[in-house]
Amino acid sequence: MYAPMRILLIEDDLEAAAYLAKGLREAGHTVDHAGNGTDGLFLATSERYDSMIVDRMLPGLDGLAIIQALRSSGNATPVLILSALGKVDDRVRGLKAGGDDYLVKPYAFAELLARIEALGRRGQAGQPETRLKVEDLEMDLLGRSVRRAGREIDLQPREFRLLEYLMRHAGQVVTRTMLLENVWEYHFDPQTNLIDVHISRLRQKVDKDFEQQLIQTVRGAGYSLRAAR
Amino acid sequence: MRPAKVSLPPLLRATTFRLALSYLGIFTVSAMALLALVSWSTSVFIEWQVQETVEAEATGLSEQYRERGIQGLAEVIGGRAGQDQERRTVYLLTAPDGGRVAGNLYGWPLDEPDAAGWMRFPVEHLGEARLATPVLGRAYDLPDGYRLLVGRSLHDARRVKSAINRALGWGLALTILLGIAGGYFTSRHLLNRVEAMSRTARRIFGGDMKSRMNLSGTGDEFDRLAAGFNEMMDEIERLVEGMRAVTDNVAHDLRTPLNRLRSRIDMVLLGEHDAATLRRTLEETVAEADELLATFSALLAIGSAESGQRLHAFEPVDPGRLAADVVELYEPLAEEKGIAIACHADPGLKVAADRHLLVQALANLVDNAVKYTPDGGTVAVTVARVGAEVEITVADSGPGVPEPARERVLDRFVRLDATRSTPGNGLGLSLVKAVARLHGARLSLEDNAPGLRVRMRLPAVG
Repeated sequence: MYAPMRILLIEDDLEAAAYLAKGLREAGHTVDHAGNGTDGLFLATSERYDSMIVDRMLPGLDGLAIIQALRSSGNATPVLILSALGKVDDRVRGLKAGGDDYLVKPYAFAELLARIEALGRRGQAGQPETRLKVEDLEMDLLGRSVRRAGREIDLQPREFRLLEYLMRHAGQVVTRTMLLENVWEYHFDPQTNLIDVHISRLRQKVDKDFEQQLIQTVRGAGYSLRAAR
Repeated sequence: MRPAKVSLPPLLRATTFRLALSYLGIFTVSAMALLALVSWSTSVFIEWQVQETVEAEATGLSEQYRERGIQGLAEVIGGRAGQDQERRTVYLLTAPDGGRVAGNLYGWPLDEPDAAGWMRFPVEHLGEARLATPVLGRAYDLPDGYRLLVGRSLHDARRVKSAINRALGWGLALTILLGIAGGYFTSRHLLNRVEAMSRTARRIFGGDMKSRMNLSGTGDEFDRLAAGFNEMMDEIERLVEGMRAVTDNVAHDLRTPLNRLRSRIDMVLLGEHDAATLRRTLEETVAEADELLATFSALLAIGSAESGQRLHAFEPVDPGRLAADVVELYEPLAEEKGIAIACHADPGLKVAADRHLLVQALANLVDNAVKYTPDGGTVAVTVARVGAEVEITVADSGPGVPEPARERVLDRFVRLDATRSTPGNGLGLSLVKAVARLHGARLSLEDNAPGLRVRMRLPAVG
């Protein structure tokens, strides 16, 4: 379904790193671990990785400094920043330094896995697409229309964006927070599981009249757009 | 090499004392200048008096000469000189050939007269000590070639002058002494008050938060300073108290679920379970941990909004768009409950805000409204310009909040639902309150008859 990735993990908390590496390996990825900033930068520059997970506060060399060093040397490997600093400003600073995504500790492993896999995919993306296709579901990005098995599906603008995000990450797990951040572009904690209701509405339109269900719920993680196994 | 640091006793280090000393220096110099002026004008005045006396004497003698001739004049001079034991006044009458006719001087002085005709010459003083004292005198030409010299000793004038100088000197010394003493006592007085203040500050620093500065009641600068300090301490104490209350609440609100979490894990560890049960228990445990983390991040968000740390993240934001987005987010949820939700927003309004915080606050309000409104009710969000402000209201047709509880529900962890049957952590409105305060907004809870209407008024931009 997805290509296994080679991931560099720079994290000084050894226990957290071991737990992360184990989880990532179980998900089929290869993981190299560096316990401090200097080793991390060395590995990042001497090897090729599909994506990196960088802790923000590291002994030796700060996480943001590593990313800045990589970016200024033309290295565009997608980076997920892990941080205990969760304010909007901190996030903005992390993304400005060249990070591609920002995850605040403590986090659910499913969230991290979904995000790092989304990043790895982004790294492979070529020129902008005009059409998306998953199984018999087709989206025309220019004409803003969606068809399933040749049948037109009428979507509200927000539903269109929601489906577009799911289709762009087809086969991957997409978490509720990722949807809120990318489809609604807000960083906040909804007190109720709002996203679930939006997804179930989308399901009504996309899946209800078809035998094959495309929008899957991934327990404890989020959603995934793919043919049911 | 660094100069050795001189350690002065506290009094000498005191600013007031040093200030007093420098004022004293300036005062002394000006007093001395004044005294010099007085002394100089006194001696000028005394010399002028001496000159007057000499002139008067000479006038008298020339009258004698006119009436009684040279012989008479010589007699008068002889008489006067004879009476003047101490030779305060000197006389000399000389014949045309330069010979001495009368007087208590033996020869004509060699000193040249000044421009006004006055001469200064030393004469042996015949008083207590036989001292040479200067005499101020003048020569007068009489008819027939006779010449008269009249002079007056400056001895008395000198004594008067030195008496005056002595008096002035003592006065100056007294002034300096009084100045030093005054400076000492004023600065010691001030130093005592400063010392009292720093003692209080140290006591507070040592943990006695109730300690306050004493006020003298005169309303002077020190009282104003102390009053300001006391106000500051009141505010700090209030904040610390608030924080303590929050910590207690946090401890309580986090301890209960943490304990539940722990017992759940304990139960699993104690018994034998099949994989499915284990999995379910673990999932429940994770859900509970997530709830804890949500409470925790809500508290952090309130804390950061209250400390005003995000001011620099403010940007012009269209509140109508935010409200529409939030309503759109909640619309499916409201629809599920059969609640009619609507948003009426004036277009093009702007407020200076942290976009994410303001959305969070609006979402909390709408979340509450949807949560507490019974099936079939209504929730209405409006955004409109009212004067210089933008008014955002969120109104529902739920049970509302009774008047006495309206202030209280804004506090942390306060939930009116005593059974706590609805989900929530009691922090939603606290965050709204903190966000409102951070944005300089006024927040009020009103009766929507029926239901609750929350009104937030933010300063409009542009």
